[in-house]
Amino acid sequence: MILPRFDYRKARSIEEAIELFDKSKGPASYLAGGTDLIPRIKLRLNTPSLLIDLKGINEMSGIRKKDGLLSIGANTPIFELRENHMIKENYPALAEAALFTSCETLQMRGTVGGNILQETRCLFYNKSLEWRKAKGFCYKMGGDRCNTTYGKDVCYANYLSDLSPALFSLKARLVIVGRNGERRCEIKDIFTGKPETPFTLGEGEILKEIEIPDVKTKGTFEKIRIRGSIDYPLINGAISMDSEAPLLVIGAVGAKPFTYRVESFDDNYISSLLEKIYGDLKPVANTVVSPLYRKKMGKVIGRRLIEKIKKGV
Amino acid sequence: MRTRKVSFNLNSEKVTVYVKPYETLLETLRERLSLTGAKEACSLGSCGACTVIVNKKPVRSCLVLTLEVDGSEIETIEGLKKDGNLHPLQKAFIDKGAVQCGFCTPGMIMTAKALLDRNPRPSREEIIETISSNLCRCTGYKKIIEAVEEASKKE
Repeated sequence: MILPRFDYRKARSIEEAIELFDKSKGPASYLAGGTDLIPRIKLRLNTPSLLIDLKGINEMSGIRKKDGLLSIGANTPIFELRENHMIKENYPALAEAALFTSCETLQMRGTVGGNILQETRCLFYNKSLEWRKAKGFCYKMGGDRCNTTYGKDVCYANYLSDLSPALFSLKARLVIVGRNGERRCEIKDIFTGKPETPFTLGEGEILKEIEIPDVKTKGTFEKIRIRGSIDYPLINGAISMDSEAPLLVIGAVGAKPFTYRVESFDDNYISSLLEKIYGDLKPVANTVVSPLYRKKMGKVIGRRLIEKIKKGV
Repeated sequence: MRTRKVSFNLNSEKVTVYVKPYETLLETLRERLSLTGAKEACSLGSCGACTVIVNKKPVRSCLVLTLEVDGSEIETIEGLKKDGNLHPLQKAFIDKGAVQCGFCTPGMIMTAKALLDRNPRPSREEIIETISSNLCRCTGYKKIIEAVEEASKKE
């Protein structure tokens, strides 16, 4: 598959990257690992005229402790989360989520920042231009309908990051840099809740690092996928517990992960929580399995995660 | 669009080429440098047939722009043979019959080489984990895993 024409520039600093973005005559995109972006460009889902490579920006790399936080640079390859002893020791949900992400080779190339900011996906969207033209464009491509549900005035693409549910459960905060300087926000605040435009990040803003409170947590991660070796989740979930009540997060259905606080391990409470998860998940037929299966598996994953954390993982 | 200059070490040889900014490393290797070992199959990063090693890491060359690898150390399947002798991995793949149609083989071998370079004695589980990055639809994985095990004993 041949890439369309675009220019390429490598930035040495965040300031330079933003400047390149602002000066670009046509639409520009930031490039990190490229494992999500390059296939999208090949399928003509993105049509940038300039790619700005962020991999040469040193301040966006590496995992380190600072001011009571663990900072993970957005450029850090996903594979390093698996190997880093601080993450394996203190944030097992995140280390496991990294292990379950894609396959080993792509974990070495794909970055943490890119994984968080990956576009939402749909069985009827992530296709070649010819395929999509034949079917007719959906909302996410600028058309006037949903090709999954036909007619309903909503997009149902799924946000399929495996790292995000783990980061939600760990109360992660993101450091975002734009023209007007640096800002911090909770990870949940970068989501619009709309699958067609999933992120609130402004034009030219860059995700610089991810900050997690420097406390030891217990936790684990679960994922259901067709191929165990390399695949996007049909549904996934993470749970983490510090000194407070565990946070249970269910992802891969809809535009953003769902978060639940597990206030007690009482059987009745857990049953009602699982029913709430079942009610919240609204999958449609835009993956290779039935929506009802994914809805039911939301409960199953929720129960598995709660039982594991109850036993102390 | 004007071509741009890029230099890298390819199989221990310094190479300078002029490439389009939107050219993938796979295209440069196959079409400008006539190294057709790395294969194009899915072209979207799922299958691993185009795997080469860049700075000791296995990468899908169909997802990497050639301009990204300026100044890098690149190894391809063509560079494995030394002084007329096949690499232990290549020998093991032949001895164990781990090649059937051969389309996935260069990618498999380069992924396995990156593993053996960072971990010369991997466990069977580690080999399975690593080799799961690559798709094979005809040989089956058993012989490939045995071949990597065999090569790890000889290296």
